[in-house]
Amino acid sequence: MTRHRQRWWLAGVALWTLVPIAALVVRALARAWRYPQILPGAGDAWPMFGAAATGRLTEALMTSLVLAMAIGPASAVIGFTIGRAIARAPRPARRVGLALALFLVIAPPTALGVGLQVATLAIGVGGTLFGVFLAHLVPAAGYLTLFAVGIFTTFDFVLEEEARTLGARPWQVWSRITIPILRRRLAEAVVLGALVSWGQVALTLLIGGGVVRTLPVELLSFVRSGSDQLGALAALAVSVPPMLAIGLLQVGIRRTGATL
Amino acid sequence: MTRGNAPAAIASLVLASPVVIGAAYSGLAAVGAVGAGADGLSGAALVHVLTSSVTWQGVAWTVATAGVATFLATAAAVVVAVRVRGSRTGRLLAVLPMGVPHVAAALAALLMLGQSGLLSRLARLAGLTAIPSDFPALVYDQAGVALVIASAWKEFPYLALTALAVLLTDAARLEEVARTLGATSTQAFWRITWPRVWLGTAPAALAAFAFLLGQYEMPALLAPSNPTALALLTYERSIDPMLARRAEAHVLALLALVISASIVILYARLQHRGQSESA
Amino acid sequence: MWRGDPAINSYVDDWVAPRMRSLYGVEVRAVEGQGAELVNALVTEREATGVRPGTASLVWINGETFAQMRRENLLAGPWTDHLPNTRLVDTASPIIGRDFEQDPAGFESPWGMVQFALIYDPARTPAPPRSIEMLARWIRSHPGRFTHDQQFTGMTFLKGVMYALSGGVETFQGGFDEGKYRVGRDRLLEWLKPLTPYFWRDGTTYPLDVAAMHRLFANGEIDFTMSNNQNEVVTKVRQGVLPPEARALVFDDGTIANAHYLGIPTNAPNAAGAMVLTDFLLSPEAQLEKLRTTVWGDGTVLNMAALPAPWPSRFETVMADAQALPRDVLAQRARPEVHPLYHARLLEDWRQAVRRGTP
Repeated sequence: MTRHRQRWWLAGVALWTLVPIAALVVRALARAWRYPQILPGAGDAWPMFGAAATGRLTEALMTSLVLAMAIGPASAVIGFTIGRAIARAPRPARRVGLALALFLVIAPPTALGVGLQVATLAIGVGGTLFGVFLAHLVPAAGYLTLFAVGIFTTFDFVLEEEARTLGARPWQVWSRITIPILRRRLAEAVVLGALVSWGQVALTLLIGGGVVRTLPVELLSFVRSGSDQLGALAALAVSVPPMLAIGLLQVGIRRTGATL
Repeated sequence: MTRGNAPAAIASLVLASPVVIGAAYSGLAAVGAVGAGADGLSGAALVHVLTSSVTWQGVAWTVATAGVATFLATAAAVVVAVRVRGSRTGRLLAVLPMGVPHVAAALAALLMLGQSGLLSRLARLAGLTAIPSDFPALVYDQAGVALVIASAWKEFPYLALTALAVLLTDAARLEEVARTLGATSTQAFWRITWPRVWLGTAPAALAAFAFLLGQYEMPALLAPSNPTALALLTYERSIDPMLARRAEAHVLALLALVISASIVILYARLQHRGQSESA
Repeated sequence: MWRGDPAINSYVDDWVAPRMRSLYGVEVRAVEGQGAELVNALVTEREATGVRPGTASLVWINGETFAQMRRENLLAGPWTDHLPNTRLVDTASPIIGRDFEQDPAGFESPWGMVQFALIYDPARTPAPPRSIEMLARWIRSHPGRFTHDQQFTGMTFLKGVMYALSGGVETFQGGFDEGKYRVGRDRLLEWLKPLTPYFWRDGTTYPLDVAAMHRLFANGEIDFTMSNNQNEVVTKVRQGVLPPEARALVFDDGTIANAHYLGIPTNAPNAAGAMVLTDFLLSPEAQLEKLRTTVWGDGTVLNMAALPAPWPSRFETVMADAQALPRDVLAQRARPEVHPLYHARLLEDWRQAVRRGTP
């Protein structure tokens, strides 16, 4: 494709992607942005939120970060373990496994959330950070199981088997062979798992019982009450870290080639 | 079965248990055995919800809007992924908004596409409209235009990521192989890459579609009050002032669960058939 | 409590909590939870954990939620008589002494009170309607500029209309009566249905909640928004949600006033702390602060006659705030809530007859 045409495509994608985010930025910077103002008036231009709001947002940011950083590795480990087993299983078990993983991902929060709420309450972690951690683990591990199945389907297990015939023990096979090869994909998986947790809303609300306040929960609260400026600010707070992560780590965008 | 399957199996069971518990609880609540307002076993909630035209109108509307949004997003994702696979900037831009939450996408849509939104204000500047109601109704409208656009915008990065993953690994490899066997670039692309990208993105598209069905915040900000989207109906029922009617929320939740499960089964069937055909 | 309003949050987090900490050593943490959802959460908690302590020690409730919680045995009590400040409460007032006609019976303590008001912009609407009848005429002559929301505030508006059309709230007092309800409802629908084609969007769709209403109003898509709190207009203008010209309007035929309360769930982890907090919230100091339109603008439940020397005049000064509606006007037009079933039935029938969105 010609350079010229590609530039048009890039411009198009850039507009499509960035304009809505720009709208949120403008809304976050202004106390009010009413019809027919194209840009907010100078009098409204400075943010007007008090200490309470910024304190809440900071606390929510911390909570979200802690959860995401815990869920990333945890869900990656679980997802890869299960995904690998599914990828190597015979055809019927494989289909069932995939279907179950997909189901975990798409199960509506009403069903999944209620089940998790009952379960976490019963074991006494309802309304606690740990309870929310467990709750996030379910969809995150589901996502990563699917991700891992994709990886292990094209993975060359011969290397692992050879190492074992040469006398290596299972954990040595993992640490010397499997993980180094999959290092980049594992890193992607950790980030994806963290993203799943970062974006959770319904589960945090249901299991956290209003006590565990993550950024998306605060975002919801602001938007529902019509505090659009704070809502836009919270929306950006939720959106920017994943954008940074994607940009810096180039998750899924690097040419990984056919080296697996 | 190889070693290491035992922990995997246990982990799977543990992960799947909340769904089972949730379905069981909703089932019990739907027939009045548990939950707020539970008054003893009764099929009244089930009958009322399943025989109401409003339920099915809501389901139909939700499925239609989610379906159109997913189709548009998938088509756009595949086309864009193919177009920008050679450009790192392009790939980055396409995938970048993946972390933007549904609520934010809906808020942005409201800010831009509302009758008093940015587009309307630009139209006024250009002299095309004078007051908000001159601008076409894209939010709170029967067609759900803004909802479809916002939903498609939200799902696009994830679908583009999947499409790119297929293009950059699997398809790239096969295209190379085809070319060494003598096929031209164009042939290799249309015969091998193009179908593969669609097939590879299909599971993600199904997941995106199913997710949209249960999403509450986007219809809460953008949808009309009638037909009432499934998620809105469910929420309304769950906070109904008449406790006895709250069981109906669980019926609706189970309905959503059944629809999701059907999608998964459909997908599994299609995959099986696809595999047995190529075998 | 509902955490959606920065003004209320600021009062609780920045004023109440530090004082509770320094005066009594009690940590107050406000947690999100709305009345209706609260009942579901508490029932699930009880079903899943039995008698283990729950999450919340004090809950913000009124009317229907109170009735539901009583029916499901979710409230502890009676406890309000243990509080020293309960004797300061104006329980003689029909708005405060009865919660949607129910006797709190010591299971919930009054906290504040509000009155329903329309909000308009005098610049856009220099001669706003002052009664239900005038409103109907106004709607017809300004098609597409009026609507109401689908939730509590919108229904409160409709209830107010129903009272006015049926000879006043007295018609519906004294418990729920199916016959009276039907007559009232039919009269309301007779009034409403011919009007809806003149509503915003020809009455084919209604905003989901008050937030959506405020957005439409602020952007000039409609000329009226509403609130259950007559002072919300002041706090919302300050937050930039509503334009600075916005003003509250209370109809001559009267609008619904209701009090909101605090309850202690049966599985409260810290019931004692909850009672200390409630007592503090009932103190003249806390009630006065809450009353200021610069803070929250929520009415006081205290009986001025029961307060010692400097307090009544202090309240007087705050209530005479230029931004607030005149107190005597408000009091004269206040109408109490009736049995919760009227609200529940009206919501259902409105959905079926007007919105057509209910299974």
